Amino acid sequence: MTAALEVDAVKKSFGGVTAVNGVSLRLEPGRIYGLIGPNGSGKTTLFNCVTGVERRDAGRILFQGERIDGLKPWQIAVKGVGRTFQVTRVFPELSALENLLVVTRGDRATAERRGRELLTFVKLEKLAGEYAGNLSYGQQKLVEFVRVLMRDPSLILLDEPAAGVNRTLLNDLLDAVRRLRDEGKTVLLVEHDMKVVMGLCEVVFVLDHGDKIAEGPPGVIQADERVIEAYFGR
Amino acid sequence: MSPTRLFQGGLVLIAAALAVYPVFGTGYGVRALLQLFMWIALAGSWNLISGLTGYVSFGHVAFFGIGAYTAAILITNAGWSWPLACIVAGVAACGLALLIGYPCLRLKGPYFAIAMLGLNEVLRALVSYFEGLTGGGSGLSLPTLQASVPIYYVMGVCAAAVTALTYVIITSRFGLRLMTIREDEVAAEAMGIDTARHKLYAFLLSAVGPGIVGGLAARDQGYIEPISVFPLATTITMIVMVLFGGKGTVWGPVLGAVVLFVSQEIVWARFPYVHQLLFGAIIVAVVLLMPRGVLGILQIKYRLPRTV
Amino acid sequence: MNVVITPAMVGQVVISGLLSGTLYAMVALGLALIFGVMRVINIAHGPMLMLGAYATFFLYSAFGVNPYLTLPVSMAALFVIGMLLERTLVFRVVDAPELSSLLLTFGISIAVVNLAQLAFTSDLRAVEFLTGSFVVGPFAVSKSRLVAFVFAAIITAAVFVFLRNTKLGKAIRATSQSRDVAMVCGINVGRIHLITFGFAAALAAAGGTLIAVIVAIQPEMGQIWTFKSFLVIVLGGAGNYPGALVGGMLLGLIEQLASLFLTTQLSEAVAYVLLVLVLFVRPTGILGGRST
Repeated sequence: MTAALEVDAVKKSFGGVTAVNGVSLRLEPGRIYGLIGPNGSGKTTLFNCVTGVERRDAGRILFQGERIDGLKPWQIAVKGVGRTFQVTRVFPELSALENLLVVTRGDRATAERRGRELLTFVKLEKLAGEYAGNLSYGQQKLVEFVRVLMRDPSLILLDEPAAGVNRTLLNDLLDAVRRLRDEGKTVLLVEHDMKVVMGLCEVVFVLDHGDKIAEGPPGVIQADERVIEAYFGR
Repeated sequence: MSPTRLFQGGLVLIAAALAVYPVFGTGYGVRALLQLFMWIALAGSWNLISGLTGYVSFGHVAFFGIGAYTAAILITNAGWSWPLACIVAGVAACGLALLIGYPCLRLKGPYFAIAMLGLNEVLRALVSYFEGLTGGGSGLSLPTLQASVPIYYVMGVCAAAVTALTYVIITSRFGLRLMTIREDEVAAEAMGIDTARHKLYAFLLSAVGPGIVGGLAARDQGYIEPISVFPLATTITMIVMVLFGGKGTVWGPVLGAVVLFVSQEIVWARFPYVHQLLFGAIIVAVVLLMPRGVLGILQIKYRLPRTV
Repeated sequence: MNVVITPAMVGQVVISGLLSGTLYAMVALGLALIFGVMRVINIAHGPMLMLGAYATFFLYSAFGVNPYLTLPVSMAALFVIGMLLERTLVFRVVDAPELSSLLLTFGISIAVVNLAQLAFTSDLRAVEFLTGSFVVGPFAVSKSRLVAFVFAAIITAAVFVFLRNTKLGKAIRATSQSRDVAMVCGINVGRIHLITFGFAAALAAAGGTLIAVIVAIQPEMGQIWTFKSFLVIVLGGAGNYPGALVGGMLLGLIEQLASLFLTTQLSEAVAYVLLVLVLFVRPTGILGGRST
């Protein structure tokens, strides 16, 4: 079965600092993966390389068997990779609904309907016409989350989806992620909230200082010595 | 009667009044309004690239100049009629935009602004250099023609067209996508928007207006020289009008053009450097106090729709 | 166009290029400092130079004093003006998107230039102080340009010594590397911004004073200097202070070289063409450095 995403020995440095040091991952379709590691371990950089925001220095990245390293970010997005950002990046002077509309092509009426549906799902339907910049941080995160879903991507990269979201809504979000997985989509999330990771992810990758130091089901990872060392000090 | 209907009715009335004005009005009045239409078209075009995508173009007058020279050369050397020459002027401006748009738009904000400024000067120097074609520093004279009234109407149509185009763009998803470039280009790309192509389209659209209008202005003045059609003052005026009225809005450039042009004619034209000085001061004031311009502020305060 | 290139001509080009290059470097250093420390592109930089030139002109015409002695005066005056501008206007846009500061300084530059036109009229002024050239072998060097070079070299060197060895200089460098870290280290970033802006204006004024003896003085004279300073920074790498030196020399040399082959009209455009070319090819500058 072709991997949904294959990261093959990817390296990325900034000036003298190596952010990602030959990391390899393989994501099978229809599963939820976690990417954890202490701050500065290279998680967001890896995301950026996969989505084309950064150009990797070495290695290959394949999406559904096709090489995507070297493509422009919009091309990768069009192929079916969606992502959210660590610090939310909604379009502040567009309304919540417009934020969703703007990523779509095709019939506007259908897009609007779907947009409103998604906003209702995250309980933001009343704020559809509000400037996204005026929403609270948690609300912006939700808008960003459903914005990713508007294009119906098959690989979804979530960068700290739980941060700043209240608990009840978070559960709805996590349910949504599980439903996406059930529909056959692949999800990779970066998270610091261990409860979320342990409860949601089937396989967890652990990065530390740009290296992948562990990989496996959450229970195993939790007990892994190297992981504990990475988080709690050498 | 809803505000929209009132507004639309008002528009129709004004349009009608302007249409019949040349019959009753003075020569001076016709020429002044003609100029106003020109500024509306210029400001509105600048708004398309700088207001919507946030790529501030400091050399936009280059398209005006190219349009002026293209039309002038076609009229004097090739004997074309001015309407046709002006259309070609618009195409030429578009061609220039295509040529420089691709490399220029890759540049980040401030670099883009200054590169455009540089390009404007390069064009001016080139135009001076190719004396055989352009008359060099001594300028180019067009055969005299009493065409102010027809030009008045064509300019009016240009102004209306640019405003209408802005309206159509802003209410479409294309316009929304342009705005995402201004809001957060990286996020826009991550969402699947080909920002490079969108910027280029906006740039091309923003060049046509000045091109055509440049040709018309050349025809109307009867004489052009490099400094008269590539002046920084024109860029400055375009920018002030849009910043003041509200960048990224439909009627902002129109408001800015009307207010500033009228003030300029009535008050400041008597003191040549004072009005430029005031423009500078207005830019400073707008950037510090109301960066969104008059209509921009009203839009946010009263939750007006985008079509304002 | 038949131009026979002799070694003497090349030598002349190199000498003239280095002389003017040093002047470019000094003025551009001011712009580089503002950009490095505050991330502001100061379009009003050229007008500061123009004001310095006028200051020298008026002191010279009124008191007949040696124009070079007016250096400290024009520098001090513009230092104050620069700080005033920063404290009243510029500081408000330091945290705003870069285009806000671009537009703001653009507005300031228009206002200043037109104020100058109102106050001084656009009549050309001149400081006729040092005329003629030194002739050494096949090379001719205009006296005023040579003196300008000497002062520019001294001032530029002094600036680098200051940046490297004094506490304030180090604070400035720290702030331009990382504002947040500088704040955490107890550096009063607001004060650094104030001083840097004044400093840059003073450097521009120095350029103005030196140039006043060489070219005609008129309100719009600064515009091309803003542009060339920007070009120097782009050539040398934004945020890279020694790069301003290299960029300045490069610009000086290229200009002189171009004037060998091109008509005066076109050689004026060389700076603009060069800028556009460099921006297209290497937006982060020839020597690399931070992009915006």
